[in-house]
Amino acid sequence: MSAELDPDAALMLRVKQGDTSAFAQLVDKYKQPVMNVAYRMLHDATEAEDLAQNVFVQVYKSADRYRVSSKFSTWLFTIARNLCLNEIRRRSRHPASSLDAPHPEQDDQPLHQVEDMKTSAPPEHLLHGELERKIGEALAALPENQRLAIVLCRQDELSYEEIAKVLDCSVAATKSLIHRGRETLKQRLKPYLRTGAWGGAK
Amino acid sequence: MTNDPTYDRLRELSWRRQLTAGEAAELCAWLAAHPDAAGEWEAEAVMNEALGQLADAPVPSNFTARVLQTLERESAAESRRRWGRWQLWVRWRWLPRMAVAAVVLVAGLFSYEQATRAARRAEYAKSVAAVSDVASLPGPEVLKDFDAIRVSNPSSAPDEELLSALK
Repeated sequence: MSAELDPDAALMLRVKQGDTSAFAQLVDKYKQPVMNVAYRMLHDATEAEDLAQNVFVQVYKSADRYRVSSKFSTWLFTIARNLCLNEIRRRSRHPASSLDAPHPEQDDQPLHQVEDMKTSAPPEHLLHGELERKIGEALAALPENQRLAIVLCRQDELSYEEIAKVLDCSVAATKSLIHRGRETLKQRLKPYLRTGAWGGAK
Repeated sequence: MTNDPTYDRLRELSWRRQLTAGEAAELCAWLAAHPDAAGEWEAEAVMNEALGQLADAPVPSNFTARVLQTLERESAAESRRRWGRWQLWVRWRWLPRMAVAAVVLVAGLFSYEQATRAARRAEYAKSVAAVSDVASLPGPEVLKDFDAIRVSNPSSAPDEELLSALK
């Protein structure tokens, strides 16, 4: 692949020469997909933002090592993957308790949630938010490689071959990871899928 | 799970994007021929829809500026680190070397001075020896009649016969 064919590679060649405006263009183009991957992998918006920033800082610092023969997005998501996995390993070594998680000694919470029968059905946006949260949780509960495969699969920038390169496995193994992850999601989200709770999802 | 190349291809395409009109028509035809796979396809479609509804992660409007700021900060920090490392290098690597070099230089100068002094002493000794040789020559009284002899026969030619006999 030549620099003329891939505009990102051409920008990276300029970044190699210290052109920060070319780098800013790349950041602008890829900040959303990288944030999506980081957010779905870490399930924490603040940490995802820090990690996404770090991904781009690494890209800039490693610009000398970038080879035009590889597609920029593949290289970028490989860096994002490595940093995400490092962060997940770091978390598992130093677990931190969530401020949002219910505390067992909190006695100001009711023992049981009693359903209010008078209330009408929740508004559409609340329902959607709740369902999105459920999908996010189900995704977060998947093994790292299956989660990453499914998240990368949603990125327009990457083909299956490129996802396989990022995951460092074969295309068949990549598709298998996606399939297995989706089957697990289907099982976990079965109650919601069955009721058709997410509006048009039917 | 259905193991059909057409179904697998369309399913893998649907994981990534909406099927085109042509692909959707191909799927309809395939499902018409395989009605038992309809349920499986519906589950796939619902899953696609559910994943498609996941909102993008929020990106701050100043994200790019913050990345560039982080780079600048790190670059400045790196320069400071480099300067610190250079100072340490000078302190811990250059100073001992310079001290060793100074010691070697002083020792060299000292040795040179010593050698020069020794050579000078040898010269003096030689001179003294030469002077002491002069002291063993016959005394000046040997030459006391020199002038009288020179004046008595100022133009005498050399005795050729005697010289040839001596040869």
